[in-house]
Amino acid sequence: MPEWTGLLELDAERRQDKTVTKNLYFQGAFKIMRPVYHDRSGHPSYYVLNPGGGYLDGDTYRMKISLGERAELTLTTQSATKIYKTPKTHAYQEAEFYLEEGSYLEYLPDPLIAYKDARYLQRNTVHMAKGATFLYSDILTPGWSPDREDFSYDSLRLINEFYMEGELVSYDHIKLNPGEQHMNGIGFMEGYTHLGSFIVISDKVEAKLIDQIYDMMEQETEDFKVGISELAVSGFTIRILANSTQVIERIITKSHHIISQEWFQTKPSSLRKY
Amino acid sequence: MNNHLLSLFQLCDSNFPTGAFSHSFGLESYIQADKVHNQATFAEWLEIYLMEQLVYADGLAAKIVYEALDDENLDNIWKMDRLLTVQNIARETREGTQQMGKYMAKIAESIFDAPMLSLYKERISQKEAFGHSAIAFTMAGHYLNVPKQTTIMYYLYSTIANLVQNAVRAIPLGQTAGQKIIYSFQPKLEAAVNKIEQLEEIDFGAISPGIELSQMQHERVNVRIFMS
Repeated sequence: MPEWTGLLELDAERRQDKTVTKNLYFQGAFKIMRPVYHDRSGHPSYYVLNPGGGYLDGDTYRMKISLGERAELTLTTQSATKIYKTPKTHAYQEAEFYLEEGSYLEYLPDPLIAYKDARYLQRNTVHMAKGATFLYSDILTPGWSPDREDFSYDSLRLINEFYMEGELVSYDHIKLNPGEQHMNGIGFMEGYTHLGSFIVISDKVEAKLIDQIYDMMEQETEDFKVGISELAVSGFTIRILANSTQVIERIITKSHHIISQEWFQTKPSSLRKY
Repeated sequence: MNNHLLSLFQLCDSNFPTGAFSHSFGLESYIQADKVHNQATFAEWLEIYLMEQLVYADGLAAKIVYEALDDENLDNIWKMDRLLTVQNIARETREGTQQMGKYMAKIAESIFDAPMLSLYKERISQKEAFGHSAIAFTMAGHYLNVPKQTTIMYYLYSTIANLVQNAVRAIPLGQTAGQKIIYSFQPKLEAAVNKIEQLEEIDFGAISPGIELSQMQHERVNVRIFMS
């Protein structure tokens, strides 16, 4: 087994109306805080910390999150994930999620900031049992660079694999490679600097929900480009190109609100980090 | 040119009835946004589509499937069939490739007496496979003893030629302009085949955001001549 820079394992289970930690283990440059139960609900929010301050050359991170039947939780980060230059080996993070029947997981990390000469590969693998729900977002942002280039990082690759009852149902592989690609050209970032994704997989997704989210996005007046599409499994992906984290965050938050309203007649709790 | 090559060449004809004429794979979104409006802007889009999507999806799948056919490793073929479908995040593009794959498998099976194509067609009709032209085409190439790289090259050529025909109608471009683009793509197709040879399985399905977004946005385009 490789020596991980940071390792985190969390098992959660539902006890009556409350989801609680069953097992927790972390070491190295990953830490997790005691969960917060917002609004006196039984739904905990866990905050992952990176005490190292950022991902460096050759760093490897691993996360394994398991939810028992009907368990519900939100996993986020304490702050943005920063990828610094990686002259020799790309930084790497893998995360595995196991969702048992009827469980509900929101994985909503802060933006990822890629600085000059950074290379990063991220793999999320999600194993879902029927009736499970998974919400995921990511935002890729270029970090400040001395020559003020928009895309001074070298490459970012994000792979998301989704399995339902053991069968691959969606595969998502975004690649940004300013080292080789003409980022402002047609087909790449189309003149924008930030890329956001919001992926929702759940039996509860209906065409009407997707239309509702689309209508909301149509009302937004900021400068951005967005697409929403139904997946091969019950669920959808939203992709957003914009010039700031805030614009992307607002669209994702509003979409999240629509989902919570439709499914639970509630608002998602603010993650109140700052 | 030997007869085998000529047989595979038949599948490359833009009149070969797979329904390719009704799919633009996001091109129509760019035409409507006036980003693609002439020969130069279309050629730019086409090259990006070839090098940033086709190479990593259809092209790499064709290579893996051809090698799996050599090794008689059928599981790998069904795995690629599934991957090719589920990696398509844009619904219309995903459904389009499935539809085209179904026709390609069906017609190729009826003209060549290839057991693999019969099996593939059977699996598609039993809903045990999704169907994809890249796989059906590769099965035909392998059956006809056409070498791997030539098979991939012909597959990419047929896709490019179909898209040029669609662009000629939709932008519109002159027929001569269309033929000039196809001719100018020869070195690019060669570069694409070389790139595919160097790719590994982890590279599969990599896509640039703009290409994918244009395919997702097409769903909400009001007036359209293409299904994707």
